[in-house]
Amino acid sequence: MTIIIRFIIVSTTLAFFSFFYFYINEDKYYPGADFTISEMPNFKLKDLYSERLFKIEDLEGTFLINVWASWCITCRVEHNFLTKLDSKNIPIIGLNYKDEEKDAISWINRFGDPYKFIIHDYKGELALDLGVTGAPETFLLNDGKIIAHYRGEVNDMIWEDVFKPIIKKENLFNVN
Amino acid sequence: MLIRFFLFFSMIFSNLTISESLYKFDNAEDEKRFYSLIKEIRCPKCTSGSLASSNAPVSEDIKSKIIELIKEGKSNQEIKEFLSDRFGNQVLYNPGLNKDTYFLWFAPGLFLIMILLIFFFRKKT
Amino acid sequence: MLIEIAHFLSIVATGLFFLCFIFSIFFDSKDVYIINLVSRIYSHSFFIFLSSFLIYVWLAINDNFSVLYIAQHSNINLPVFYKISSIWSAHEGSMFLWIIFLTTWGVVYNFSTKNDQLLKARTLGIISLTSVGFLLFLLLTSNPFETILPLPPENGADINPVLQDPLLAIHPPMLYLGYVGFVIAFGQAIAFMLEGDPKIKWEKQVRSWSVASWSFLTLGIALGSWWAYYELGWGGYWFWDPVENVALMPWLAATAFIHSLSASSKSSILRIWTLLLSILVFSLSLFGAFIVRSGIIDSVHSFANDPERGLYLLSFIGILVMTSLLLFSLRFNLLISSKKIVSLSKESFISINNIFFGALIFSTMLGVLYPLIYEFIFDQKISVGAPFYNAIFVPVTLIACIFLYFSIDSKWQQSFNLKALYQPLFLSIIFSVIIVSLIFFQFSISGFWTLMSLTVGLIIIIRYLIVIYFYFAYKRFANFFSIISHCGLGLLIISIALNDNLSSERALNIKINETEIYKDHQITFTNLRVVPESNYDSVKADFLVTNPNGDTFTLTPEKRKYFARGQVTSETAIHASVLKDIYMTIGDQLDDGSWIVNIQFNIFIRWIWFSAIMMVVAGLLLVHSLARSKA
Repeated sequence: MTIIIRFIIVSTTLAFFSFFYFYINEDKYYPGADFTISEMPNFKLKDLYSERLFKIEDLEGTFLINVWASWCITCRVEHNFLTKLDSKNIPIIGLNYKDEEKDAISWINRFGDPYKFIIHDYKGELALDLGVTGAPETFLLNDGKIIAHYRGEVNDMIWEDVFKPIIKKENLFNVN
Repeated sequence: MLIRFFLFFSMIFSNLTISESLYKFDNAEDEKRFYSLIKEIRCPKCTSGSLASSNAPVSEDIKSKIIELIKEGKSNQEIKEFLSDRFGNQVLYNPGLNKDTYFLWFAPGLFLIMILLIFFFRKKT
Repeated sequence: MLIEIAHFLSIVATGLFFLCFIFSIFFDSKDVYIINLVSRIYSHSFFIFLSSFLIYVWLAINDNFSVLYIAQHSNINLPVFYKISSIWSAHEGSMFLWIIFLTTWGVVYNFSTKNDQLLKARTLGIISLTSVGFLLFLLLTSNPFETILPLPPENGADINPVLQDPLLAIHPPMLYLGYVGFVIAFGQAIAFMLEGDPKIKWEKQVRSWSVASWSFLTLGIALGSWWAYYELGWGGYWFWDPVENVALMPWLAATAFIHSLSASSKSSILRIWTLLLSILVFSLSLFGAFIVRSGIIDSVHSFANDPERGLYLLSFIGILVMTSLLLFSLRFNLLISSKKIVSLSKESFISINNIFFGALIFSTMLGVLYPLIYEFIFDQKISVGAPFYNAIFVPVTLIACIFLYFSIDSKWQQSFNLKALYQPLFLSIIFSVIIVSLIFFQFSISGFWTLMSLTVGLIIIIRYLIVIYFYFAYKRFANFFSIISHCGLGLLIISIALNDNLSSERALNIKINETEIYKDHQITFTNLRVVPESNYDSVKADFLVTNPNGDTFTLTPEKRKYFARGQVTSETAIHASVLKDIYMTIGDQLDDGSWIVNIQFNIFIRWIWFSAIMMVVAGLLLVHSLARSKA
């Protein structure tokens, strides 16, 4: 009986502490990155510059959706990198999140337009359906499915660590 | 001085959510349901805390959406599914009862019963 | 210069504490000479370490921003009180305070225990060892003595405005006092196990220390809850936050421990339980420190986010806990007594109590760890929150309370006649059913668990009222510590149930000079004004509230903008009365000039903290009474 109790005590404590040891040392998922695959939700939203309505059918192939806003300070920092991606022919669609039209347009005029086109999500409806919690956030889509979602600023390091692996794995964008 | 106040007010205004919902409910039950639901849903942006305890913009948006869904007659379960589809399972403070959570829900009771049984039926030498 | 002295003193203290440990363990700990030596070295180490801390406080008060930590967390414009409390507002300083309290308990134990007490040297040795472990953690990974030289900033950063609150300044010290106080029981337990002589009555010696620590811990948790209520703006008082849970677990273990102590200090029964619990309480305190400090579970309390720190703490705490439990597993057979627990004796009820608390600790630990384990195995995130904890705690607590009810008549080492219970049982059930029915009809409360909670809470209180009556009428024995603390428990259950069931809230949309009606109260928005203060600007909204009786009062919630970090916070306005709190916060202003204003009616909420205070008072009274009977 005594031996059983001794065994239980020793093994439970050992298991308990080893678990934490492994947990701390584990290569946790990149904080902010989510690779759950989901369907692109339906939507019907206006283009930032015109009255043209965009629908899910207008999204084809492989591309990024970048959530941004003129009030988002980190977005200004991220902008450089997006321009770099654009110059490498990575298609980026802008999702202007809870922003006044004129503020967004003057922001683009001032800093440049790295987007193929910009969807104006004034109320954040599409953003809510995508699970967006703020700006900037970036989604990678392929064939109508979201295959990567990153919360936070995308830069060289994040691109390498979060997006590149899955781009390589799925053989997207042909070159990059 | 005046500039400071002006900046201050604009600081408050920038918290303004564009959503129009003013937390208006059709009846008292809906209102009660809302307030109890938001305690069970985790704020997706905060390190921890429910929607009730958060006034982050995305929390406000989710709350407005919940009110909309309540008005549409959706049940609590449907609303929770709506949110977990979009923000992940971790946004529900109740992890649900499924094969992966049986241990969570049943272990405490089993533990208690087991130890009580050992206590009551131990050999009294 | 001063900071370097403080740094040096801390290093010296670490060395001396280590010396203290060495002497106590590797020499004959029962030799009077050694005990004197260990005791002396300990006191000297403590005073050296205390000086280091006092210098640090002095530097904080004098705005010495060449110290990195002070620059990061304090500011010239802060009132002196907050300059001092900024020391424990973040990681490094918190650890510093933790170790100060740890060593303080040690020095108080040192001074109040005679040198002829057999276990004294080793107890001090264990306390020293623990201190050394944490000091090394402090100096090597979380150094508060780091400097910004050669160009110190002229002013510090402001601390988070949410932390500039008197209550919040006291909450950590109170909590830490509670947590680390159990090092004495822990040290004594280890010393006892090392000595291996079952005749030594270590339980008697640690009782006062443990009950005092328990009282501080209870108070610390209650203060945290009260602070969260009025500061965080949404009217909740307990969130089942991981960090709250890791503070709750030591408290549960400590409560079981002091009950078990009351049995073991009187006889040789339950000694194994008591020994195990003394290790468990301190281990859970350390575990709590680990969880919070390593930032491993993201939480509102998370200060640190550093794997190195996590690993160090984990190793240190792991070794300490595993060694003590190993020692326990080797020595507990010494305590298997020939005396068996008599059925229906007080000891038997305390054993059952221990089992129930054990189940609650297990469940809390499970809830805290489950998301981590789940993520580890399934690579997916889940959350475990209030629904789980409520589902476990409510039934388990209520059933435990029913056992408590029956234990009231039990005696030490004797059974009791159940028949004697019939009359009080009948009386208490009748009264509580009557009261609950009244409440049910008056307030239309629904819900099985609410009604059960009310009934159980009431039968306990009524039963004790009967006991008090018998005390005054027939001079029957009454243990007032028991009475006060358990009535506190009954009241806690009742208050939580009523608060949960009867409280309500609404978001009003209101313009200046408009009136809204909520719950038969008239709320008029009378004024909006802007008021500058020393380190923030404030927008205050005045509301005149008229209750159904015609009484009026003003509530003034506000929004503040702090200069140093530009943070905007919302301050609640509360009108407290015996039965309820009326609680208001301002939301946002809309385009049409109207404001969104949140109003809540929190029923019976003051009683929740009052019941915690009852328990604290009972504990302190017991400590006082134990001290008097010793002297």
